[in-house]
Amino acid sequence: GPGVLTRTLLNSGVRVVALENDLGFLPDLQSLEKSLDGQFKVIYGDFFRLDPLVTGPVKPPTVCSEKLFESMGVAAVPWRADVPVKIFGIVPQKKERNMLWRLIFAIYECSSIFRYGRIELNFFLSEKEYKVLTAKAGEKRTYQALSVLWQIGCEIQLLHMEPWASFLTNSKNGGLAIPKSTALPNDHLCLVRLTPRKDLFTGTLKTTNSATFVFMVKQCLARPSSRIIDKLNSWSLYDGCKLLRELEIPEDAETVSLYPEDYRHLFDALQNSSVFTESWFHDEVLENARNIN
Amino acid sequence: GIPWSILRNYSASTKEKAIGNVAYERTELLEVLKARVKQLQTSNVPEVTVNKAELAPLEEEKCRVRGQRTAAPGPAEEQSAPKGKDERPARPRSWVEKLRKEMYVKQLKAEQEVSTQLAEKQTKAKTKSKTKTKSNESLKAVATPTWNQSPAGLSPACAPKLSKPRTTEVEDAKKRRPRRMPVDKESQYKMIEQTILSNLECFQFLQQPEKAEKLLLTYHKSAAKRKILTVAAYNIVMRSWAKKGCLTRIDRLLLKLRCIGLRPNLDSYAIELECMGRNGSSDRAIRSCVERLKNDGFRVDELFQKCLFEEDEKEMVLRAIRMILPDYELPPPPNTETCKSSLLQNFYSKERNVSYPKLDFTVRELRERFQKQLELEMSNTITIKSVEAMKPVTPQATKARELLAGLRSQWHDSILQALQKSKHEMSKASMSGPKALYPYLCLLPDEEYVSIMMEVINTLSPQGVSLVFLARELGSKIYNRYITHRKMRSRHLEKVQKVYEDYIHLLAKDSQPGNYLPREYWEKLVAETGFGPSLSLKDCSWPYVLHMRLGMHLLELLVQSVKVPRNILNPRLESKLIPVLYHIYTFRNSWQVGLVKPHPILCQIMADASETTLTFNSCVIPMLCPPVPWTSSHFGAYVLNDTRLMRYVDGAVQHQLLLDQCPQVNLHPVLDALNQLGNCAWKINQPVLDIIISIFNDKGDEKLDIPPPISEAPKPPPGPSNPSLLNKAQKHELMLCKKKAAEMHSLRMDSLYKLSIANHVRDKVFWFPHNMDFRGRTYPCPPYFNHLGNDVTRAILLFAEGRPLGPKGLDWLKIHLINLTGLKKKNSLQERLEYANEIMEDILDSADHPLTVR
Repeated sequence: GPGVLTRTLLNSGVRVVALENDLGFLPDLQSLEKSLDGQFKVIYGDFFRLDPLVTGPVKPPTVCSEKLFESMGVAAVPWRADVPVKIFGIVPQKKERNMLWRLIFAIYECSSIFRYGRIELNFFLSEKEYKVLTAKAGEKRTYQALSVLWQIGCEIQLLHMEPWASFLTNSKNGGLAIPKSTALPNDHLCLVRLTPRKDLFTGTLKTTNSATFVFMVKQCLARPSSRIIDKLNSWSLYDGCKLLRELEIPEDAETVSLYPEDYRHLFDALQNSSVFTESWFHDEVLENARNIN
Repeated sequence: GIPWSILRNYSASTKEKAIGNVAYERTELLEVLKARVKQLQTSNVPEVTVNKAELAPLEEEKCRVRGQRTAAPGPAEEQSAPKGKDERPARPRSWVEKLRKEMYVKQLKAEQEVSTQLAEKQTKAKTKSKTKTKSNESLKAVATPTWNQSPAGLSPACAPKLSKPRTTEVEDAKKRRPRRMPVDKESQYKMIEQTILSNLECFQFLQQPEKAEKLLLTYHKSAAKRKILTVAAYNIVMRSWAKKGCLTRIDRLLLKLRCIGLRPNLDSYAIELECMGRNGSSDRAIRSCVERLKNDGFRVDELFQKCLFEEDEKEMVLRAIRMILPDYELPPPPNTETCKSSLLQNFYSKERNVSYPKLDFTVRELRERFQKQLELEMSNTITIKSVEAMKPVTPQATKARELLAGLRSQWHDSILQALQKSKHEMSKASMSGPKALYPYLCLLPDEEYVSIMMEVINTLSPQGVSLVFLARELGSKIYNRYITHRKMRSRHLEKVQKVYEDYIHLLAKDSQPGNYLPREYWEKLVAETGFGPSLSLKDCSWPYVLHMRLGMHLLELLVQSVKVPRNILNPRLESKLIPVLYHIYTFRNSWQVGLVKPHPILCQIMADASETTLTFNSCVIPMLCPPVPWTSSHFGAYVLNDTRLMRYVDGAVQHQLLLDQCPQVNLHPVLDALNQLGNCAWKINQPVLDIIISIFNDKGDEKLDIPPPISEAPKPPPGPSNPSLLNKAQKHELMLCKKKAAEMHSLRMDSLYKLSIANHVRDKVFWFPHNMDFRGRTYPCPPYFNHLGNDVTRAILLFAEGRPLGPKGLDWLKIHLINLTGLKKKNSLQERLEYANEIMEDILDSADHPLTVR
């Protein structure tokens, strides 16, 4: 676009690395890079085509996070260290869901950009996706696997809300280019800050078993009105009721009514029992990981 | 005489004879092209209008349509106004897309329904989700149907509230809208109507007229719901009473029917008369009934010409009529019509004096074969030996088989128990509602439900099967079984058997030739025996949703009741029962698919046991006698198994509606074509089959397209046992191996089925009944083993009756052989032929010693 975001960032005086996916805009940005004396750097690439699953060399604008961080000159820091890089971006409306899934997976696996530490994401998202990310337990329409995973994985802050009316979003036939949403309000574009939590990998959750956690949450919330005890039974758990009692979760609770922390506690308990290692669970986890990427 | 095929083949012979025809055919070609132009326009247009309503992501598409429009201005203008029937053929494409969307919606819906027990909650959630998903799917033109939709609402009258102000193309849109709308609402509406009808029929089958009437009256009482009721619904209940001779009940229902503004139809009168015949009513009553019949614009003769009778219904009606008209004679069968299509003029010309080609069988032989086929279909499933049975049995397999046998008998008992428990619970709950499944669980003996459910466990692929697919299959198996029972009970089978025994005279070599096509001959016989207009059952198909709901219920029982001790393979673990089947979701992009998978323990036991029998539905085996000829869209192919004339997506109703509306005579060419294909007799090329089986049981051969066993699958390289410790490349490799194994498994099973079926019929002559898809492509009904398979499968088949090759036949065979080698792809036919002659020695040697070529 016209570079509003980049200009604002430059004006505030920070060092900016811009990813430009359109070859047409590249020359101008490159000349800007020269004139700005090190404050600005432009790289030909598309953030939303980062780290594809296919192995082998990639063709720009697709980029690899390794290459990217190398050319930015940023080294990996431990997870508990401070935020090494902040990313600003406007997520294409069509890709929102997809991106949110890919990024949350990367956070839990500490893969892709999150190998370099807790990268802070500042995204312009549609209001409906923001509502999903911040949905509370019990809200049947909005509370989804994505809500649980993001709320456990990141601190979510709403920085700004801008009505869609402020934008020229006409598509070619004159209609609004904003996807309609019936269940959720979707009148704004939201600037959301997503900061991966420092304490994400304390306790039982590790990067090695986090895929199991993601899988568990997804299975539970595939049908929000299913009962958690049925799920546990189908995973061949010996005494699901006892476990739920210990976790102070009502036996007849629907999966939608469990708080994110409940899922985390559930995972800890199951991880300590033999459910995950012994049943079909981990084959399925692997399968699931493939489908996501 | 002259070979049948030449006379029948208009395009080969008549074209050259009559040059006058050429010009005629040209105009016809022009017609076809015009129609195609129109078709392209109409099928594209609705997409455009729909898209315009929201984002118009298909901008390109629109341009394309515009381009077409300017390219063919003539016919476009001429036909832009809707023209009744002409539009029909133009629809399929948009339908298919719409159907796909609908299927998706339905799938979602069905999955949501799986385990929810509260029926009330379900209803709400369902309608809500339906609205939601549909709007997501941007089916703007589809109005969500509700229970209280009136039949009047079906008309395009709803269009205005949907149409949005549009600057351009408003005119066009107005014209087009009604085209899509009624179909859609019709199908939804039809679905609800069908559900009620099948519920009522269920009670009729169970001989519970009280319950049927109770259900009918719950609808009748509510002003909103009664609008769904049709005369057919009342007729079903009245028929149940007629069987019991309760005339007063029928009179009361007729009164109710009239008071909500419906008029009794011919069937209603037939039912009333049947009841009168049954309980010997007075002349006066019968006379007044006939009087009313005439006042409603019907004739007595029509009763016997149009109504479908089951059991002894016809005799009873006739008895009633003869009470008042002692000399009444059955009306002569209506004259058979002949298809008027100009393309088929020669085919259907009256001067046909060639008999239908005879099969090399006597009447007696064909009759025996029919009996065998009938026995096969009556037993519903058939268990055959797999070709792997030829391998020796290992001690490990013997042990696993014993284990499995023990488990199966336990499972059988626990499924039976679960089924009975669930039936008991359901019988206590209110069962008059349209959602009640209880009557559907009473149609068959419990044992039959259990054996159908057990089949699921036995055939479940280790990769899992989609929940929706499994449920649908379960549902339709139950339905087919029910239909079989119904056919047997309603004397339908008896009638078919009688007609078939006469019908085979047309085909048998030792009987008089007749100038009939199979369909015509069958129709003639039906008319002669006086069985009424046809042998089809009264329409009783269950709506798709019902198949699904029933299937889901049974599947749920299965998942909950079938368990296995956890330590069965590893005695060191503590004993505990765990479910054998589990339900899991896989996620593809943004949507989720429910799967049912077998527990790894079950997979292991099954693999160890490597059982050597296969159980199939009887319609998977080719027919052992010539198929029953297609005579209508409801009747033909197998003796008992219900087969569709046209294949369509489950849940679609409009196809059948159109087929029913279409004048029967227009379907004749289609029916005759299918009969012609179905009457071709086949046999097995035994030496080739033996060679293929020997390779198959060895290690398969990918080059020969004979899939290797799963033991030949690539093994993943050794790595850390915990999959989460693998790196990206290792994970990728592991995944590729798994994928390859899954593919190999399905290819192997497919081949196993084909070869086993072929081996089962190796000494027999058999037939493939055919049906067709919406494009008119014909397919054999048996799904695995048929002549449309790959080269390997086709190599196993031979025509049961050889015919001498034509003058160039051998040359064409040689060319075909070279084509199969793929060696001379760029050469002319002549060169290919020469090459074949050149290497003839080698060819003959390969034929003689296929595996030990010199």
